[in-house]
Amino acid sequence: MKTFDLAIIGGGPGGYVAAIRAAKEGLSVALIEGRDLGGTCLNRGCVPSKTLLKHAEVIEQIKDAKTFGITVNDFSYSIENMIKRKNKVINTLKSGIKGLIKQSKITMIEGYGIVSKDKTVTVTTGNEEEKIQAENIILANGSKPFVPPFPGLEEGSYHTSDTIFDIEEVPSHMVIVGGGVIGLEIACIFNSFGTTVEIVEMADRIIPNEDVDATKFLTKQLTKKGISIRTGTKITGFKNENGKAIVEMEMNNEKISLETDSILVAVGRTPNLTGIEDLPVKFDGKFVKVNKDLESSLSGIYAIGDLIGGYQLAHAASEEGIKAVKHIVGKEDKSDMLIPRCVYTFPEIASVGITEVEAKKAGYKVKVKKVDLAANGKAIASNENSGFVKIIAEEKYGEILGVVMVGPHVTEMISSGTAFMHLEGTVEELENMVFPHPTVSEALTEAAAAWMGKGIHYS
Amino acid sequence: MLKEVFMPKLSSTMEVGTLLEWFKAEGDTVDVGEPIFEIMTDKINIEVESYEEGILLKKYYEVDDEIPVNAVVAYIGDKNDVAPETPTAIEAEDETAATADAPEAEIAENAINEESLDTNEKVRATPAARRVARENNTTFNGVQGSGPKGRIHEQDILDAINNKSNKLVTPLAAKIAADQGIDIAEVHGTGSRGKVVKQDILNNQQPQTEVTEEVERIKLKGLRKAVADKMLQNAQSIPHVTLTTDVDMTRAIELRKALLPVIESQTSYRVSYTEIIMKATASTLKQHPRVNASLIGNEIIINKSINLGLAVAVEDGLIVPSVANVDKLGLADLTTVSKELGAKARHNKLTPDEMKGSTFTISNLGMYAIDGFTPIINAPETAILGVGRIVEKAVVVDGSVVVRPIMVLSLSFDHRAIDGAPAAAFLTELKECLENPWALLV
Repeated sequence: MKTFDLAIIGGGPGGYVAAIRAAKEGLSVALIEGRDLGGTCLNRGCVPSKTLLKHAEVIEQIKDAKTFGITVNDFSYSIENMIKRKNKVINTLKSGIKGLIKQSKITMIEGYGIVSKDKTVTVTTGNEEEKIQAENIILANGSKPFVPPFPGLEEGSYHTSDTIFDIEEVPSHMVIVGGGVIGLEIACIFNSFGTTVEIVEMADRIIPNEDVDATKFLTKQLTKKGISIRTGTKITGFKNENGKAIVEMEMNNEKISLETDSILVAVGRTPNLTGIEDLPVKFDGKFVKVNKDLESSLSGIYAIGDLIGGYQLAHAASEEGIKAVKHIVGKEDKSDMLIPRCVYTFPEIASVGITEVEAKKAGYKVKVKKVDLAANGKAIASNENSGFVKIIAEEKYGEILGVVMVGPHVTEMISSGTAFMHLEGTVEELENMVFPHPTVSEALTEAAAAWMGKGIHYS
Repeated sequence: MLKEVFMPKLSSTMEVGTLLEWFKAEGDTVDVGEPIFEIMTDKINIEVESYEEGILLKKYYEVDDEIPVNAVVAYIGDKNDVAPETPTAIEAEDETAATADAPEAEIAENAINEESLDTNEKVRATPAARRVARENNTTFNGVQGSGPKGRIHEQDILDAINNKSNKLVTPLAAKIAADQGIDIAEVHGTGSRGKVVKQDILNNQQPQTEVTEEVERIKLKGLRKAVADKMLQNAQSIPHVTLTTDVDMTRAIELRKALLPVIESQTSYRVSYTEIIMKATASTLKQHPRVNASLIGNEIIINKSINLGLAVAVEDGLIVPSVANVDKLGLADLTTVSKELGAKARHNKLTPDEMKGSTFTISNLGMYAIDGFTPIINAPETAILGVGRIVEKAVVVDGSVVVRPIMVLSLSFDHRAIDGAPAAAFLTELKECLENPWALLV
């Protein structure tokens, strides 16, 4: 039986990053992946959605061309070619990861690993069974789309994020169940493709955990684009009539039914427990329970990423993977990393830290400043000046507790806010720093200046 | 000719002096022996007198500045002399280094006489450090060298330029620390390269009471800081044991009554119990040299002379003048010396010499309603005697209860240097000596 210092179950952004870091730390590492290297993020999540969102953005720009004095007489697109390009993007990145794995001398084992308490992992590939022994194990199993048992759903056909990015035909009508990040991004893609999109959300607003101002703003923008959003609405069942799907729902005791030709269920994700079904590890709800060092109830068995809940984000999983490896090699890491959150809708939302509500709950004396992008020079020039930048800071020392951005390119801009928070710069230093003009990002320093009562363009 | 006025080094432990007052302004004439300014050290306030006559040309420090020992505080010269804009840097502190470098120092002195403005010449520093200092238009004044014999390296001067305390701190942590009066230098940083982050400051915070009433805040500085540092150091590093015993003071009181008029007519001072106890202590210490020892490094030094430190309370502080050779002094001389030193201490007039060299300390709280206490040893001494009040108590003498004036003596000793039995033997003999003080005459 081969032995390793570390065996990692799952080659997603949590697992493969942990594997490479562990190898750099001098550990012998086995990486076990049953499906696609890169995990959900690369194959069925972040990367395909961002690729198709870029396609959608190009279409939006063409539609907008007249505003810029450019006439595009006619244009068409091929979903088949778009999906092909998406797959090319995935394959480029996947071969990149493969190269890194090889370079790091990590033993890649293809197949689903079954983990035992004695830290052996049994991997079955076809008829062959391979058993390895590891000193430590990181469970990076990830998650899969959660599909609630709606009456009648299984009788018809529906999509989840696992299938939607390989769609062959653009539907004329789509009902998206769930107004979370996944549902909204896909709504934007198909809205640009010309599909009539209707979102049904049970909570009273979309992305309920995000900043209220941001979600309100986004709701308005999406509605303006023709996406219908029904919040506070509960799905009651599905039916099939004359080859058309009927989605039945209830809002304020009022029954509504929508006729559609495609359904996307995007209500959330659930941990993937494949291979650990029989492992006597403790759970916290549906998630594997871990301590601060990401160690599970079984000593030497760690769990990271979507399997343990928290922010179900690729970069959170990567960070957790690195943290677990640090603990395995005995490097102390007490830091509690800030995890930025990005939503790639039109417009985008990016945020980091805590919201105003959370800050107040935590006992901070909070002062909030929001500046609008309506007057931002670069944004106006680009005809994308809808959005805002908001700073949530503690009043006395100007400690930045959170930053929320809505608008174009904000997912690229949020890291300047994160950097200030990570390095413990305060509003004062942010106000002091010179941002280039004209940029959308200068809104951040404008917000800081306004926060301090020194605003030039905003007060 | 330009002459420097240096910050004097008044004791072996003195590193800085705080400028309290300028007696002269720039342009004033100064005579030899005339006080120029007053400083406060960790032990004493003292007026610094001029060794030169001339005109005070330049002052480099303001009141309340902390000035390193041997730094140039001012220049005195003729009216035609021009003093440099920045003070010359500190000379090597290490005495052996100073001797070894004597010729170099002479050259440097000449350079000063020739009014060279390169004030960094005298300091040990690498060429790179000199370049950085030149480029940044700064001097080595106050820069601690990390190299051999205190040589200043490039990094030392860079650190000094960037941050005096050589400590990385996030802006947020710096703000909180400043607000809460926390000294960053004392905070352990957990960030990258030891950077002090917010959490480190919070961990360092004293638990705050809910009530935020306005309180008076007194900064630990000057004498208060010196007392605080010394007490903490002594209390933390010395394993103290305190022994107490009751002393029947009947005969000591008789002795004092008898001697009072004699000594008063001779010295005009009234002999007090303090002097009698000092005398008895000195006499007993002579029989117990181990109690009259100093512990320095790994050595117990048995002192030949018996010099008694006398703890004197002064305004917001405590200073300990030393009475030398108490065993050789008669009670009249002892009374004179100790009264004069006590008065000088209370008026901040002690010279550094008068505070040096004590081998054993006496702390007398007998004027208060105090019996026994646990005095803290005045290192490097290895024992201290605490004296309580004399109070009438019922005691049993020869089987019957009688009233006697009783005083409690508390002896703290350093258990590294002295063991319990010899310390107890010393205290027992001291008790017997005070109970039969006539023996002091023998």
